[in-house]
Amino acid sequence: MARLVLKFQESPLKEVPIGSRPLSIGRAPDNDIAIDNLAVSNYHARVYPEAGRLVVEDLNSLNGTFVNELRIERAALRDGDAIVIGKHHIVVDTAHDAALPLDAGRKVSAPKVDETMVLDTKERRQMLEQALAAGERSPLAHTRVRVPLLSVLSGKTDRKEYLLSNKLTVIGKSQMATVRLRGWLAPQVAAQINKRKDGYYLGRADRVPKINGQPIDGPTRLNDGDLIEVGRVRMTFLCHD
Amino acid sequence: MRLDIGARTDIGRVRNNNEDSYRLLPDLNLFILSDGMGGEAHGEVASALAVESVAAHCLEAANNFSAPFFGEPKADLSEKTNRLASAVHLANRKIHEAAGSNAAHRGMGATVLAAWLDGQKLSLAHVGDSRAYLLRAGALEQLTVDHSLVAEQLRQGLITPQEAESSKMQSVLTRALGAQEEVEADTDEHLLLEGDTLLLCSDGLTRMVTDPEIASTLLTHLAAQAAADRLVALANEYGGEDNTTVVVLRIGIRPDVWFNRLRRWSRNLGGQLEEESLRGGH
Repeated sequence: MARLVLKFQESPLKEVPIGSRPLSIGRAPDNDIAIDNLAVSNYHARVYPEAGRLVVEDLNSLNGTFVNELRIERAALRDGDAIVIGKHHIVVDTAHDAALPLDAGRKVSAPKVDETMVLDTKERRQMLEQALAAGERSPLAHTRVRVPLLSVLSGKTDRKEYLLSNKLTVIGKSQMATVRLRGWLAPQVAAQINKRKDGYYLGRADRVPKINGQPIDGPTRLNDGDLIEVGRVRMTFLCHD
Repeated sequence: MRLDIGARTDIGRVRNNNEDSYRLLPDLNLFILSDGMGGEAHGEVASALAVESVAAHCLEAANNFSAPFFGEPKADLSEKTNRLASAVHLANRKIHEAAGSNAAHRGMGATVLAAWLDGQKLSLAHVGDSRAYLLRAGALEQLTVDHSLVAEQLRQGLITPQEAESSKMQSVLTRALGAQEEVEADTDEHLLLEGDTLLLCSDGLTRMVTDPEIASTLLTHLAAQAAADRLVALANEYGGEDNTTVVVLRIGIRPDVWFNRLRRWSRNLGGQLEEESLRGGH
């Protein structure tokens, strides 16, 4: 089974199997790979399968994420690669796998060029993506990812910062909430943030949230620096380019 | 989460057979609808294959975490949404294979629309022109985008909504199950609130009945089954040119959830009072 092995000075500390779920790396204890070291950001990087390969992505960490010797923002991983974060190494071990587990049912078909075909824009894009996936890893050809951040200014929440990496982010006391509100008066589902093609939208649930002091009237697109109020919790939405 | 579920499928007033299929799995909170195409080439075979493949794949995944995955999972989607997309990819492959291996089935295809609820979280996956609507606070919102030529022309501003309505190209889909070896499924996630109504329907409904009429029917027929029956009846009253299938889901929080909240609240209140009386005593 494919796995990540956390090492410090060549001695293995922890092993984490790679499944279809993204694995998070950081200093906060709720990471899949938690590294208790000040050089490591709370949510430093994550590793996930994409297009039949394994990808590591730096989450705008302070001290950066390296693959072997190169600093990366996003890079494909191969068997034996070392993700270097501070003084810790996380070694990728996929040698015993025929393929990544999630690929069990996937058929990888190379673009056919010997046949006459009509290309629509979607097919062209897919062919480009396949070509990229098949090519060499290139740290310079990375795509800069913009994952916005919610930073809590005041109020009772389980964390001080939240990365909005999901399509749906629920704010509330409920188990399914990403932004977990504390306090027994807090609603189970207070508000929601939906990722759409053109940005992130704040919407109501059991409460009507405010943006910059104004109660929202239907789902509203968030801009960098917006102040969000949900009950007594105040947060800023940060989305820097 | 309490659900009131209503569903109905009908052959309509013009067609000789019903090529729509639906499948409800209330234990899993999974609801699937498909509109088959291909006429003589057995559209009903394709739509049945679509709903059964999606249902079987999700059932397997619910019992076995490491069930094979079809297509590429997306990092920003929940496990359930990724699993729905996987099910749609599998259904496409099955229909494509069936169409290729049996001469009688050549050219068959289907739309698919699947909704999976995880508490208040809704996962949606679809291919084709079957639609999901959300009725919230009296306003009807279409959650899905039609994969049809007309809808695409409309989005690009090439035709007006009036031209779209009278277009002869309405049955031309830009995406369908079975047409190609691989298909891209549209996926989405929403948070459902108490009092919401979710409607899944085939184009037999939306070609005959306008959105405002759909909204008013859902608002005036409280029981989900009554609303489903009335929507199908309306489609038939207006001509019933195609098969019509509707699934109506009314969202409500179970009474025991309220009871637990009340109990927790009174316990908290009791604890605070006790604390205060202790403090007062010293």
